[in-house]
Amino acid sequence: MDEMALNVSTAAVRAEGLSRRYGATRALDGVDIALERGITGLLGPNGAGKTTLLSILATVNEPDAGRVSAFGLDPGHAAERVEIRRRLGYLPQELGYHRHFTVAAFLDYVAILKEITDRRRRAEEVARVLAAVGLEDRARSRIRALSGGMRQRLGIAQALLGEPDLLILDEPTAGLDPEQRLRFRELLSSLPGDPVTVLSTHQADDIAAICPHVVVLLKGQMHFAGTPAELAAAAAGRVWAAGERDDRAHLSWRGGDNRWRHIGDHPPTGAELVSPTVEDGYLMLSHTAGAR
Amino acid sequence: MTNSSPGAAGPVAGADGHPGEDLLASYAAGTAGTVTVWSVEAHLTGCARCRSALSAHVDAERLAHNRSVLLVRAAIGDGSRVRRVLRRCGLPDHVLGLLAATPSLRRSWLLSVMGVLAVVAGEAAAVRYGWITAGSPGRIPGYPGQNLAPFLLVGPLLVLAGVAAAFLPMFDPACRLAAAAPFSGFALLLARSVSALAAALVPVAAAAFLLPGPGWLPVALMLPSLALSALALAAATALPPRAAAVMAAILWTVPALLLAVDDVPLLIVQRNAQFGCAATLCACAVVLVARHDRLESGWMRWP
Ligand SMILES: Nc1ncnc2c1ncn2[C@@H]1O[C@H](COP(=O)(O)OP(=O)(O)OP(=O)(O)O)[C@@H](O)[C@H]1O
Ligand SMILES: [Mg+2]
Ligand SMILES: [Zn+2]
Repeated sequence: MDEMALNVSTAAVRAEGLSRRYGATRALDGVDIALERGITGLLGPNGAGKTTLLSILATVNEPDAGRVSAFGLDPGHAAERVEIRRRLGYLPQELGYHRHFTVAAFLDYVAILKEITDRRRRAEEVARVLAAVGLEDRARSRIRALSGGMRQRLGIAQALLGEPDLLILDEPTAGLDPEQRLRFRELLSSLPGDPVTVLSTHQADDIAAICPHVVVLLKGQMHFAGTPAELAAAAAGRVWAAGERDDRAHLSWRGGDNRWRHIGDHPPTGAELVSPTVEDGYLMLSHTAGAR
Repeated sequence: MTNSSPGAAGPVAGADGHPGEDLLASYAAGTAGTVTVWSVEAHLTGCARCRSALSAHVDAERLAHNRSVLLVRAAIGDGSRVRRVLRRCGLPDHVLGLLAATPSLRRSWLLSVMGVLAVVAGEAAAVRYGWITAGSPGRIPGYPGQNLAPFLLVGPLLVLAGVAAAFLPMFDPACRLAAAAPFSGFALLLARSVSALAAALVPVAAAAFLLPGPGWLPVALMLPSLALSALALAAATALPPRAAAVMAAILWTVPALLLAVDDVPLLIVQRNAQFGCAATLCACAVVLVARHDRLESGWMRWP
């Protein structure tokens, strides 16, 4: 057994050789992933298979091939699956709501689904998660009266009910205002019990800010697993800033300071080399993978 | 039931109806028993005087915590009147909480069921009393129940629709959450389906009772309604849930229509049909017992 495989087999939550097709689409194609305690960020373009991967880890979707193990439990067995769900908090990408429920009643309902049967304990849990996402004063609001970002925070709140050991968040920061995003980062980094957390996002700065581990998924395949610094380093020596657009670069875009930023192998005329960010590394990686 | 435990109502209400200082102190310190905590909180929700008296006994942090839990409890509320009555009848509160998310138990759903029933029952009465005519021209004169054809078709289908709405994922906007929760298995499905079945049977049986028709009709509708619902559930262990519900509906609609065209609509709930329904019910029960783990609402293949 090589070192990589050894590492995978000791992780708290892991999956090996996951494949999932929808008709002719290969949503996942032989994915191996190992999740340690702490936060893992999952990056990938639209349609890369992030939601599919997370739903399989969350035991609501079944892979065509491959194995999942969470805390030594196998979701393929009905009894062990329930055991995983007892320790799980899950925010689906498209979480539907019972729109006529009030915020508090919805959380109470989810708490029942999570087998918190004692009424007082439920109220305490609901109060705790509402405070965690800053929705205390909306407890009585109907869900249909919430703004999109508030609804997203409600989704995060329900995932935190019962202090899960495995927290799976599919695009938790989508629709959050800057202040709430900072608050969310703080919330995740200070969770008690250091749960195994995995979140998908399109915002590389979320990853740089709070994820010690990052994984990049492209077209259903794993293309990178490491630290954010290592991902940024993938673009080292290839990120340039210049006054004009450059057609030879892989990617060129105009930054806020009115200067152009390029990722490419050749320096554009009059350009200066800049130190790459996580986003640069991710863009570089998805570009080279797409070119192959 | 909770009221009978010692230390509930008695010690909480002091001479003037408010909890005494000792009680507030033990509540604030978190040493009071569950039942006591409950009744103190119930009182505090409605009494500003005791809320401020309580603040003398607790530090600010604990006070804020208690306050937010109180607010949340008030926001969650006690549920609907039906839920309170059922709780008093001894049904566990958390099971009732799960049912709150079942669309076919909502008032709007039950009102539409009653609306549909009023239309078909009204039609049956109108035909029976000769206000309008119905049936085919060559109808056998005097054969009973010809006016009941629409009702016999629709009644059991309404029950089936209620059960289907209780177990089809498409009717549960938060089905992905339910799928990832431990309380998601067959137990949840069965609790929802059985309560939807009961809720739909009541108006259907009442309509059958009020209709001008044979007196045994309300009873005769029970078995077909049960069999159809069980069939939909049992078929869902092998088919996609929606296909299962549609199949059960077709298996009722086709014979009901054929018999109505033949001017003998009542045969659908008479002797042989009852035997058929009983057999179906037994077979479906066996299938459900053997294959219930396939019905778990998670671990399914989306869509
Ligand atoms: N239920 C489904 N039926 C058919 N195809 C599906 C289904 N779900 C996903 N797919 C396909 O599988 C692929 C992966 O989808 P997935 O939702 O996992 O991507 P994603 O990485 O989460 O994308 P996004 O960033 O847009 O959320 C896509 O090509 C998508 O079209
Ligand atoms: Mg997605
Ligand atoms: Zn008082």
